Amino acid sequence: MVQVALSLLLLPLLSAGITLLFLRKYGNIAALLSVASAGGILAFSSFLIFGKDSDQIFSWSTTWFQLSDWELSFGFLVDSPAKTLLFVVSFVGLLIHIFSLGYMADDKAKSRYFGGLSIFMFSMLGITLSDNLVMIFVFWELVGFSSYLLIAHYFSTDEAANASKKAFIVNRVGDFGFLLGIIITYWTYGTVNLQELSVTANLDPSLTSTMLCLLLACGFIGKSAQFPLHVWLPDAMAGPTPVSALIHAATMVAAGIFLLIRIEFLFTVEALKLIGLAGSVMGLYAGFCALTQRDIKKVLAYSTLSQLGYMAAAFGLGLPGIALFHLMTHAFFKALMFLGSGSVIHACHHEQDIFNYGGLRKKMPVTAYTFLIGVLAISGVHFLSGYFSKDAILLGAYNLDFVIFSILYLGAILTSIYMFRLYFLTFCGETRSKSSENAVESSVFMTAPLIVLAVLAVFGGFHSLYPAQIVEYLLPDISRVAEMPHHLWMNILGLFAWVGGLLFAWKIYGSDTQSKDPLELKAPSLFQLSTSKLFFDEVYLFYVNRIQDPFFRFLEVMELLFISGLMVRGSAGVAALFALLGKSFYSGKIHHYSFWFVLGTLGFLAYAILGGGIS
Amino acid sequence: METISPSHYLFLALCLFSIGFFGVLLRRNILLLLMSLELMLNGINLALVTFSRTSLNLDGSIFVFFIMTVAAAEVAVGLALLVALYKKRQSVFSEDMNLVSN
Amino acid sequence: MVCSKHPVSAAMFMIISLVGVASLFVLLEAFFLAVLQILVYAGAVMVLFLFIIMLVDVGPNAGKSSKMKLISGLAGAFVISLLIVSFLIIVQSSGWIGGGANWSPIIEGAEPVIGDNLSFSTSVKSFGYGLMTKYMLPLQISGFLLLAAMVGVIVLSKKEEQDTN
Repeated sequence: MVQVALSLLLLPLLSAGITLLFLRKYGNIAALLSVASAGGILAFSSFLIFGKDSDQIFSWSTTWFQLSDWELSFGFLVDSPAKTLLFVVSFVGLLIHIFSLGYMADDKAKSRYFGGLSIFMFSMLGITLSDNLVMIFVFWELVGFSSYLLIAHYFSTDEAANASKKAFIVNRVGDFGFLLGIIITYWTYGTVNLQELSVTANLDPSLTSTMLCLLLACGFIGKSAQFPLHVWLPDAMAGPTPVSALIHAATMVAAGIFLLIRIEFLFTVEALKLIGLAGSVMGLYAGFCALTQRDIKKVLAYSTLSQLGYMAAAFGLGLPGIALFHLMTHAFFKALMFLGSGSVIHACHHEQDIFNYGGLRKKMPVTAYTFLIGVLAISGVHFLSGYFSKDAILLGAYNLDFVIFSILYLGAILTSIYMFRLYFLTFCGETRSKSSENAVESSVFMTAPLIVLAVLAVFGGFHSLYPAQIVEYLLPDISRVAEMPHHLWMNILGLFAWVGGLLFAWKIYGSDTQSKDPLELKAPSLFQLSTSKLFFDEVYLFYVNRIQDPFFRFLEVMELLFISGLMVRGSAGVAALFALLGKSFYSGKIHHYSFWFVLGTLGFLAYAILGGGIS
Repeated sequence: METISPSHYLFLALCLFSIGFFGVLLRRNILLLLMSLELMLNGINLALVTFSRTSLNLDGSIFVFFIMTVAAAEVAVGLALLVALYKKRQSVFSEDMNLVSN
Repeated sequence: MVCSKHPVSAAMFMIISLVGVASLFVLLEAFFLAVLQILVYAGAVMVLFLFIIMLVDVGPNAGKSSKMKLISGLAGAFVISLLIVSFLIIVQSSGWIGGGANWSPIIEGAEPVIGDNLSFSTSVKSFGYGLMTKYMLPLQISGFLLLAAMVGVIVLSKKEEQDTN
């Protein structure tokens, strides 16, 4: 088992290493190697999930390094949530690798891209399999780094370079809180190993504190782009679309939710409430901003933010299993939609403004219909995968916390509106620009994953269809929700949400539209508010330019004065003083030498007469 | 009045020694430096002979004999060195014998 | 001697002080040594000095600037007198040098060697006796020393540029 887990982890690292060292110029070989490693990852994960002894929790650890009585260990913990996430990551990862073969076919820097994908798979698997918080942190940073690498794939454009920097820095801010949380955890509990922590926490629930939980959740806030660190995700769409699909829809942003699930035994009631509230507000806010976006990928980015808010809300309600369930179904339909948008972008020669699309349904049927399935799933159309997880969240919220429910319900309506808006503007009506006129259906590399994901998006909600090991973690919470009352009322509300959204979007966007957004004409103030995204970016920019930069300049002056001036040059000066003292002995004049000679002799004499004689 | 006791001789020897000592430290002319060195040795000789007389031991005087021998040899060699230096530097003053700075 | 300007005057003064020391030797009944002092020191060593002084024709001391000389001279004199006075005080308080020893009379006709000690005598014979028996090794060594000194002096005073034969 250990060897399987180790090889699972090292296979993508090996592929990345070979790509880095040998295959810099041979992009095609690097691509095939990367896809092969993704296939290998799927094989190994299946072995881990379905192999023998797989019904027990597998854990193993070894000491990485040791500093007297503090030990940092490296180990694996493959329990039920890890198995679920392992399935999602490896399966979706393989599909996206295959998609990239088609999407990046005419890219010039394929080996860099595929190498980055392999490093990302390595880091993500590391987060999934790690058994202690410090290892999770290490792989956390690695995931952030691979995200930086991949977003900046088109680094010659300013937009991509700035976006990757922004992603990394904002992530880093969250990680700082995470690290503080890890330190306080170690201080309180004496260990960072997850299994030991759960034992200790269950024994003595009073040790934990809201502050500790919130600090650890800072990692989640940074990585999963929650408020207030959500500003990096829309900008991160400057990377290639498969990257957005893999990292920013299906897996990396889900790592935050996974972290929360891993440490859910530490959470206090207040912390849970806060996270739930923050998540639901995020869901609403992101949906609101998505209403007026013109870039197809940015719409999907805001949609991801919104769904992450749903997952956080589910976690905050005390239903981590439902959060994981929604993570799984979200991975399927969001990846589906991102890959579909990638197919569209590729076909329209990298045109991304949806108001320049239109009528693509006739030209790219496979893409269009799979995309439609994704849209239906996310809006919660009955009996598709999204319906099961989303409605479970809404039902739980209705029964446990009405405030969260109302916010989430509004968000659900908005989700339906902007998703159908996206679909109508892109695929229906007449073509609106030259690039969409020349669109053709994409190659089989791109359409095959779309079809597979569409199947999953349709049937993925029936948890009984999965093998038991994958959904083990989800079942308790699913049954808990199933026993809650008001099922029928919830179904009616859900129906109202998606039908209402569909009709509203059809009315405004369904008919032939020009390139101006009709909402702008009908409700201009709302439109302005939505496009401003509530000024988050401006506030951060102000802080960086006006407050942080002058402070750093001041620090630089201080450093120049004190550290390099006083301490570095000063200590050199002290040494030089000693050197001058020594140099004064070496005058070259006989008299000076005889003088020192006599002095030395007198000294010896004094020692002999006065001082320590022998015995 | 006190009779002359060995202490007086020893004091004189001490004076000779210290005068020679200060001469060695303070003279600039190397020749005179060597002469002061001889003066120091003479002081020592005097002290040794006094001790020899007071303790009725001939060892002291024999030691003086050897000191004189060695002093003579040393003066010879020292002056030969000085002459060689004089040929090089054209001066016998110590400040001109400085290899370190010019 | 140490303060005189002219080297030749210094040499003259030196000779006088050497003769004085020789006379003190006579007072101490070490006659052989007194004669040896005159012969070797005042006769040979000082003559050698004078020889070299004449060879190296040095005028009176070309000293430092006069004001520096005055100051350094005064300072040096002050220091030296301080040292001497303090020394005298120390010596006086501890009862003079030599711890108040006194002259003991010379026993004439004593055995030359008593135990391991040579007995004091004014004759040259006992001197020679001591040299040849107890101090034979140093005698030989000082012979070698004189040989080495002679060789060294010859080497050192060789001319640098060799004339072609």
